[in-house]
Amino acid sequence: MAEGVVVDTVFWGARAEGVAALERELARLRRVQSAHARELVRPIARASVLNLIVYADREEHARRAARSVSDLALRHPSRAIVVLADRGREREESERHIEMHCQLPISDGARQVCYEQILVRATGDVDDRLASAIIPLLVPDLPVFLWWTGTPPVGSRSFADLLRLTDRLIVDSADFARPEVTLPIIARISEAAHGRFGVTDLNWTRLTPWREIATAFFDVPSWRLFLDGITGLRVGFAVDMDGRDIHPSQALLLVGWLASRLGWRPLETLAPSEAGGLLFAIARPDGARIMVRVRPRFERGLNDGDIRGIRIQATDGRQQAEFVVRREPSPRHQTATVFLDGERHWERTMPMPSPAVVELIGEELSILGSDRTYEAALGALVELA
Amino acid sequence: MGTARKPLSHEQYREELHGAVAQYSRTKPLNEEVWRSFAEHLHFVATADDAGYDELRRTLDQLDFALGTHANRLFYLATPPPAYEQIVKAIGEHHLRGETGWARIVVEKPFGHDRDSALALNEVVHTVFREDEVFRIDHYLGKETVQNILVMRFSNGIFEPIWNRQYVDHIQITVAETIGVEERAGYYEQAGAMRDIVQNHLLQLLALVSMEPPAAFDDKAVRDEKVKVMRALRRIAGDDLATNAVRGQYRRGFIEGVPVPGYREEKGVAPDSRTETYVALKLWVDNWRWEGIPFYLRTGKRLPKQSTEIAIQFRVAPHQLFSREALAGLEPNALVLRIQPDEGISLRFGAKVPVQGIRIRAVNMDFDYGASFMVDAPDAYETLILDALRGDATLFTRHDEVDQQWAFVDPIIKGWSEAPGEPASYEAGTWGPGEADELIERDGRKWRKA
Repeated sequence: MAEGVVVDTVFWGARAEGVAALERELARLRRVQSAHARELVRPIARASVLNLIVYADREEHARRAARSVSDLALRHPSRAIVVLADRGREREESERHIEMHCQLPISDGARQVCYEQILVRATGDVDDRLASAIIPLLVPDLPVFLWWTGTPPVGSRSFADLLRLTDRLIVDSADFARPEVTLPIIARISEAAHGRFGVTDLNWTRLTPWREIATAFFDVPSWRLFLDGITGLRVGFAVDMDGRDIHPSQALLLVGWLASRLGWRPLETLAPSEAGGLLFAIARPDGARIMVRVRPRFERGLNDGDIRGIRIQATDGRQQAEFVVRREPSPRHQTATVFLDGERHWERTMPMPSPAVVELIGEELSILGSDRTYEAALGALVELA
Repeated sequence: MGTARKPLSHEQYREELHGAVAQYSRTKPLNEEVWRSFAEHLHFVATADDAGYDELRRTLDQLDFALGTHANRLFYLATPPPAYEQIVKAIGEHHLRGETGWARIVVEKPFGHDRDSALALNEVVHTVFREDEVFRIDHYLGKETVQNILVMRFSNGIFEPIWNRQYVDHIQITVAETIGVEERAGYYEQAGAMRDIVQNHLLQLLALVSMEPPAAFDDKAVRDEKVKVMRALRRIAGDDLATNAVRGQYRRGFIEGVPVPGYREEKGVAPDSRTETYVALKLWVDNWRWEGIPFYLRTGKRLPKQSTEIAIQFRVAPHQLFSREALAGLEPNALVLRIQPDEGISLRFGAKVPVQGIRIRAVNMDFDYGASFMVDAPDAYETLILDALRGDATLFTRHDEVDQQWAFVDPIIKGWSEAPGEPASYEAGTWGPGEADELIERDGRKWRKA
């Protein structure tokens, strides 16, 4: 075995020599579990509704992902194949290898469901052969989700091979090292998929409550008119106290979504505004100019890159309106306010969920196929930024 | 009683068997007490010449006398097929069949290498044994799940009514191996996947899944029905060959992350070999039940996983109530009979994803042999050897089945050997050549993710 690779078998389960041995071990574990369950008169179903391949570069990420999937077992009982690869680390040819471990973790919430976890631990550059170790592990007939933690490596053969197997690719642009480079690539992947597989971004899933409230403003018939008269848009996103350069990919997705829904076309990026912010001009379908400002702000209790507020300025030709949503971190809630001609006209306070990654993943696993709204938003984002 | 050309003492023979049983037996560890008692009845006679065969007859007669076995004799030919003729003749000439008891002969595939040679071999065997004394092993038929095809179809009331062209869209049968040609290059170069797998295992599986209900579960009734359906197989030849048959050959690649050589780089394989290691076929059963329903068969070496299964894919619901978005995850119902590994049955159907609103996803309901009965199914050979001892030929191949199997594959093999060009190349560790995908995708269908 290659030096320096020690797998925690308590967490990941026993090592199996090859796929056949691994399937035998899983069958044995299932039998033990179901025998035990019979004694307790609490039968266990081997239920799998999907294959989930999780790719991670670091043990810490792999474990976190494995726990998330385990927590989802009741809602999405799956076969999870966690791939942990130390790409890029130089190793001798003889040290290149792939080993497999398996386990039937039992999460508290789902004792009656048998969920299968497999670790594929790759050492050295196994780009050319990684997929050959994963294909035989997939449960036949079930959809395949590929959750790629970190930045997807474009041009890598194993990534391309896995995409061919996949029904849905899940990424998190909050984890991209350089979102401005990777987002356009994701857009290209999504376009090239031609519906063969869907693509999604957890940063998009995080936007759901924002999208809901932003559309709810314009459900009110008398405010519906303002939708065609938007003159300005500001989106604030959270940064840490040091003011590090955080890419506003979540905020830009929101802008991209509005642009794609409302038929806005990009005009020009005016300036990278203060500390990582952006300022650009967009044209409405009627040609009028909209100024869009994406601004970083320090805010306690929010994750870097999370949206903290939206302000939409609009006119219906008679009145000036401002539609404002602000996220308040403690306790978690959001306030939606409508100003008409500067006067506070309407205000509501609502709970604001701040879902953890496990909940976001749970949401994404319930969708199969393409999310056309996301794809359009991403396409618009790429054109804008 | 063991026999071979090379001389061995009884003791040496017992030791060899002991080693083999200790290594391969399903029940480990080996119980030495039981073994000792069993081994007392093991004997060996070398049969390199006529004197050897005479010695064999004398030893058998002595054992009959000592053990009271009434000269019941089962001859098991675990030899290369070219030796069959000589051995069968020797059995006849040296009167190895006992005077009083029954005599049966078990032979392994391949039975001949085409229709004519199978017929010739059969004539030789029939000079000494009647057809009902010949037990041709196709070990697939000894597998629990294969027998279960018949049990499932004919002991349940709910499957047979939908087992026809009204409800079935198509049927896929897959025999996928991860291994390469291993030590068998000499044989495989001559045989190829067509003779090695399609002619026997695949066509047997096809027959079991498509045959009419037999009147009884006995050797005659079951095999009559199998032959009947094999006769209904539409022959693939001439112009049909290109559209209905694909052959492939693996090149180097990876299996489970380990690099493996290409077929032409294997020891004993010609560097310009045209032998096929992969076959995909689209075929039709021209009878009342299956008119217009395609059967897609595929087999190959160096595929990504070991898997043998039959999938019956049903037609989609006639009218869809749900929106296109809701249906994104729905796939047609499929009943999958997994033969190995993980013997079991699974039924795929659409279920509602637990979210607000309707989203539909295909889910599998699994029946897993091991988990349901808490025992491992007996090995196919255990079943078959016991059946042969008992004289039950239901799970063995009758000559007219073999004949029909060759009658189906011979024109394809002939067509390929006469056609210019080579098998389509596929990378080891993938699901075969792109041409095989085209074969099925032309019809708007796709190979299952087995």
